[in-house]
Amino acid sequence: MSAGDAVERFVKPGCMLGIGGMHMHNNPMALIREVVRKGTRIGTLVTSPSANINADLLIGAGLVDEIYCSYVGFEHLGLAPNFRMAVEQKKIRVREGDEAAVVYGLRAGMSSLPFIPLPIGLELAQTSKVNTLDFKTTTDPFTGDSVLCLRPIKPNVSFIHCQKADAHGNGIFEGSKFTDVDMAKASDKVILQVEEIVSDDYIEKNASRVAIPAMLVDAVVQAPFGCHPTSSHSYYTYDEPHLLEYLKACKEGFDAYLQKYVKRPRSHEEYLKVVGEHTLANLKEER
Amino acid sequence: MQPTVADIMAVAMSHHMKNGEVAIMGAYSAIPMMACRLAQLTHAPDLTFIAGGSGAVNPKLRPMVQSSCDWKLLTAESVLPLSDVIDLEARPEIDVFFAGGLQVDKFGNCNLVCVGDYANPKLRGPGSVGLPFLSRAGRFVIYTNAHNKRLFVEKVDFLSGPGFLDGVSYAKKKPIGNGPSLVVTPLCTFGFGRDRTMELRTVHPGVTVQQVIENTGFQLKPPLTVPETTLPTGEELELLAKIDPKGVARNSVR
Repeated sequence: MSAGDAVERFVKPGCMLGIGGMHMHNNPMALIREVVRKGTRIGTLVTSPSANINADLLIGAGLVDEIYCSYVGFEHLGLAPNFRMAVEQKKIRVREGDEAAVVYGLRAGMSSLPFIPLPIGLELAQTSKVNTLDFKTTTDPFTGDSVLCLRPIKPNVSFIHCQKADAHGNGIFEGSKFTDVDMAKASDKVILQVEEIVSDDYIEKNASRVAIPAMLVDAVVQAPFGCHPTSSHSYYTYDEPHLLEYLKACKEGFDAYLQKYVKRPRSHEEYLKVVGEHTLANLKEER
Repeated sequence: MQPTVADIMAVAMSHHMKNGEVAIMGAYSAIPMMACRLAQLTHAPDLTFIAGGSGAVNPKLRPMVQSSCDWKLLTAESVLPLSDVIDLEARPEIDVFFAGGLQVDKFGNCNLVCVGDYANPKLRGPGSVGLPFLSRAGRFVIYTNAHNKRLFVEKVDFLSGPGFLDGVSYAKKKPIGNGPSLVVTPLCTFGFGRDRTMELRTVHPGVTVQQVIENTGFQLKPPLTVPETTLPTGEELELLAKIDPKGVARNSVR
């Protein structure tokens, strides 16, 4: 399915959208740019424990009402400018999270648990005090002690990027899986973005490496360099000059960036032409 | 060969690690990764370290990289999904957690969320990520790439990672971990005193005690004499140059 068709069909205005990838790696950017082209409002954006341009671009485009996140930033390259500005100017609601909130929340979501108790000690951090929607305290029925609990995370739809899948959506990660398998399992619908579609025969010979079974996947979108400007593990590294250009654009005219890289190119293929073959070729990892 | 500031910081962290321990670090951790690799190649061959988000256990750092989730870290001993890493963070396995923040206070509490009031932040930071797990780590090391009054504050504006809390109520909370043990900055190293506040332990070569005091936002009780931070030996410097020939981490601090 094309990115456009998949987003059109499965991303409904006001939905809870889950996005995979960690830091500047495996961000499902071809799908995210498609959401910006369509201008679909996201009711709640929920991210892996470390979001990057995947969240910041959607926020910068003004499409996110609420975010449930643990970290949005650019690691050694700096803060996430659109996220920062939107929170400071109160243009977005934040459901404050942390790594435990995302990982245990997804664990509850994927296992159909009504809620999940957390290890003792996490209540000492301030997160649960500022997010009383997702964190509640209850009594441990076995010991009578007080215990902090989390609401499950169950996105309506998630964007997950892995390197290979067959046409049915049996997906293989050729690198880190981060929290992407958990997110796929916790979501009602999954759009799987991949670098390449492999044959049924290839999957038969590599079945033990399949991390996402096709029964969870609603659409497979082939998008070579679909994570650009972030990396796709083992295929290509992140485009640091482009990320720096993005960070600069956030401060000096974000609309120009959006026009050049997201709105004017009508498809992922056109986006890649704007970025340029030479730039992309230089990002390839030596395997 | 002259040591860089990052070399001095890495050696201080390396000496803090004991053979057989398990350490973990998160985002923006090139220097702690380099420190752990150095420890493995010197006094702690059986040290284990987990490069946070990548899930890589004992990455060989060929090459050294900036990002904690880089594919190049996966040249390692094993690669875990992140939820398995979290399971380990919740178990007693983790001896040393590497932490940092936008703000660090005198009790070793860390903040990655905001400067100013949470509801009306002057600056919104990225978020707490794994810092709440500091409450369960055997001990933790705080490292920073800067040292100024905005970073080292009297009290954090948001508690992302619990250190010794307010000092007094810490023991009553019966924490599972043992709290912060070492702070390494571009100027100095701190330890913690009996009142659970930061104490100046060493200053890096060329740095004065006065300079540390002027750049720290809380009152310091410096001992009468503050020794210099131990410089890398010739062997350690050679190993650091081998681990990071391009200076990705070694030149990352001014």
